[in-house]
Amino acid sequence: MFTYFFRRLLAALPAIFGVIVIVFLIVRLAPGDPALMLAGELATPEILQLTRERLGLDKPWFINTEAFLEQGNPLALFDTQFTAFIVNLAQGDLGASTRTRSPVLTELGNFYPATLELALGAMIVALLIGIPAGLIAAVKPNTIVDYFVTLGALIGVSMPVFWFGLLAILFFSVQLGWFPVAGRGTLAHLVLPAISLGAGSAAIIARMTRSAMLEVLSQDYVRTARAKGLAQRLVINKHAFRNALIPVVTITGLQFGTLMAGAVLTETVFTWPGIGSLLVTSILARDYPVVQGAVLLIAISFIVINLLVDMIYGAIDPRIRYD
Amino acid sequence: MKKILAVFALLLLLGSLATAQRILIVAQGTDAVTLDAADITDSPSATVSSHIAETLYELTPEGTIVPLLAESHEVSADGKVWTIRLRQGVTFHDGTPFNAEAVKFNIDRFLDPANAFTFRFLLGRVASVEVVDEYTVRFNLSTTFAPFLAHLTHNSVAIQSPTAIQTFGENYRDNPVGTGPFRFVSWVKGQHIDLATFENYWGERPGIDGVRFLAVPEATTRMALVETGEAHVAVRVPPADVARLDAHPEITVDNTSGVRTIYIYFNHTKEPFTDVRVRRAINHAVDKELITEFLLGGAARPSDAPVAPGIFGYTPVGFYEFNPELARQLLAEAGFPDGFSTTLYSPTGRYVMDIQITEAVQSMLADVGITAEIVTLEWAAYLEITRQAADVNVVPFAMLGWGTVTGDADYGLFPLFHTSEHAPAGSNRSFYSNALVDALLDEARANPDPSLREQLYRDAMQIIWDDAAWLFLHSESQLTAIRDEVQGFVVHPTERFLAHRARFR
Repeated sequence: MFTYFFRRLLAALPAIFGVIVIVFLIVRLAPGDPALMLAGELATPEILQLTRERLGLDKPWFINTEAFLEQGNPLALFDTQFTAFIVNLAQGDLGASTRTRSPVLTELGNFYPATLELALGAMIVALLIGIPAGLIAAVKPNTIVDYFVTLGALIGVSMPVFWFGLLAILFFSVQLGWFPVAGRGTLAHLVLPAISLGAGSAAIIARMTRSAMLEVLSQDYVRTARAKGLAQRLVINKHAFRNALIPVVTITGLQFGTLMAGAVLTETVFTWPGIGSLLVTSILARDYPVVQGAVLLIAISFIVINLLVDMIYGAIDPRIRYD
Repeated sequence: MKKILAVFALLLLLGSLATAQRILIVAQGTDAVTLDAADITDSPSATVSSHIAETLYELTPEGTIVPLLAESHEVSADGKVWTIRLRQGVTFHDGTPFNAEAVKFNIDRFLDPANAFTFRFLLGRVASVEVVDEYTVRFNLSTTFAPFLAHLTHNSVAIQSPTAIQTFGENYRDNPVGTGPFRFVSWVKGQHIDLATFENYWGERPGIDGVRFLAVPEATTRMALVETGEAHVAVRVPPADVARLDAHPEITVDNTSGVRTIYIYFNHTKEPFTDVRVRRAINHAVDKELITEFLLGGAARPSDAPVAPGIFGYTPVGFYEFNPELARQLLAEAGFPDGFSTTLYSPTGRYVMDIQITEAVQSMLADVGITAEIVTLEWAAYLEITRQAADVNVVPFAMLGWGTVTGDADYGLFPLFHTSEHAPAGSNRSFYSNALVDALLDEARANPDPSLREQLYRDAMQIIWDDAAWLFLHSESQLTAIRDEVQGFVVHPTERFLAHRARFR
């Protein structure tokens, strides 16, 4: 089992490398000068040049032919921004934020736990609402219950999260005073953001559960179980549900990965200090090291979550064996 | 057992009442970036820092410069040597004594090119700083610079504890230590910053026990906080929410004028903006009062000068009344009886209602025959494209703002209108150039006589105004929602919010 896990992790390295190259390139291709953003509009050209040198931005991106021709040293060919980034990364150094001068790892460490907390909270809400709703709809298809669940899912997935979040604040916090307006701290602070964020995922999970269950319930072995005289509850819980789980687990994994990427809108509305907000602020400030570091972290999170999902398959479906 | 519990509960209650802290909670639009005063470039950081660290001189909300950590000063006859006597009996929050050595340490650090502090240019003319005696400091300037004291009021020149800077090194930005009435307690990134009253403050003790600054980017959420009482103050109230919040029985919306001027500049190297008649026509085509009333809810002041009132050197020099007929006439005289087409650049979300104002301007220009296509960019890209040198600059007409944070007209005029400041060397993106204005601005910054300086600035601004160097719009006001139980909270024109004199009723 564990060898499989580590083998898969190793196989993910090229994907991670690909992400690194792409984000390195994209953030540099965007118009906007990080030195100008950092030093400010009032900076003189001398200060701008000094800032550029300090940030290492005066070097070429991938290949340094100028230095090579000047020094005749083949190694000079690689005196570039990308080499510097990779070399530092190999030593565990993600650099320092150009905006706050804090180490990138510290910045990520400040904001990642909050994202984890919110993603978990939203996921719990989504599962607690989505799975039962999907089950009931599948067990009583084409009844009023089914229509309500389908309608609910449609609303859940169409509703803009910031609109719902703001309404929730205005009603539950300002009018009723049940929950705090914004911020992170106690469990009470987590409720509204988790519900706002989880609603969309709940809708998707409900639909997926419903359709997976419907398919399973039409299988021959289910008919056999019913013919045997088994109670409906047993049929569903013991036989049908487990087999419907695979697509549900897949979609849950994908949803969780998306949530980990940082729910920027929810974070903004509720002032939740997560990775999404950090990423947006850093992009606007052209803070390359933080953008690179945050995207790397999100990519790794996504890969790890998908790996865990694969492991869970093995636990659910005895036909799947890993060697 | 029950009795013991009851007594215990009562003691807890009494204890909590006795130590009940009166903490003022202020909701800002963004989290601070750094609390190292020398490194600060944004208003939220400057607001927090102003409570912790103090400057030698202070710019009052009314626009006068008063000594703060300084007591008095003398200037040499040639205006190049400033001797400043410091206040005695002041200590930093960590116990380090405040003296001339501390001042020299801070100024040297501020000027050190290796630190590349953005606002370093404010003291660019300081050649050296000397310690004359324990409480006297001497600044030797390379040239005469009349607004020197105004520049010393800027928060980035605050005096911070040398001991703390040396001890914390790179981490000083998260552990600021100054001489101010509040000392730093903690900073939860992305959430809040806590300050507590400094018991050994040299001046008047604040009426509260501490301040908490919340970082709340979403305006609706920020207003909700002050409505529920979870915050006592919410800054940057959207104009559309003013009426609703003011009607709230426990909230008042404060409207304080600011030092930030919003304008749309002409690129003076591109036709047809080279013709003053065209520029004047455009100024007459736009109804600034309408914009102020309907888009900004009255929270702005239509411009009657290139700088805002409250700034030293300000005088009203004119007003371009809304007159589309006159505009069409001027355009016809200039050779454009049927108008012309151009591109109007604007940021989105950088200034209050910026893109909406641009759209209003576009429709007003269309009324006089000028077709303006709007191009909007994200801020970093916008700054870059407008900053290009004249020969490669593609921007003919663009909106910008400028905050005269030193409260002195030199800062509001020189970087924007002097020929030596043409982009990319400086901030004169309009490439405006007038030899007489250059001479007036040079003279005004060299000559220390205040009444002469005022006259020089009036003359310079009159030329700039008559030249219609910009499409002059308005100066922004600051709308702040304050709960009625708070009094003494100050909204400073330089976009800082001060709790030094705040108290709960």
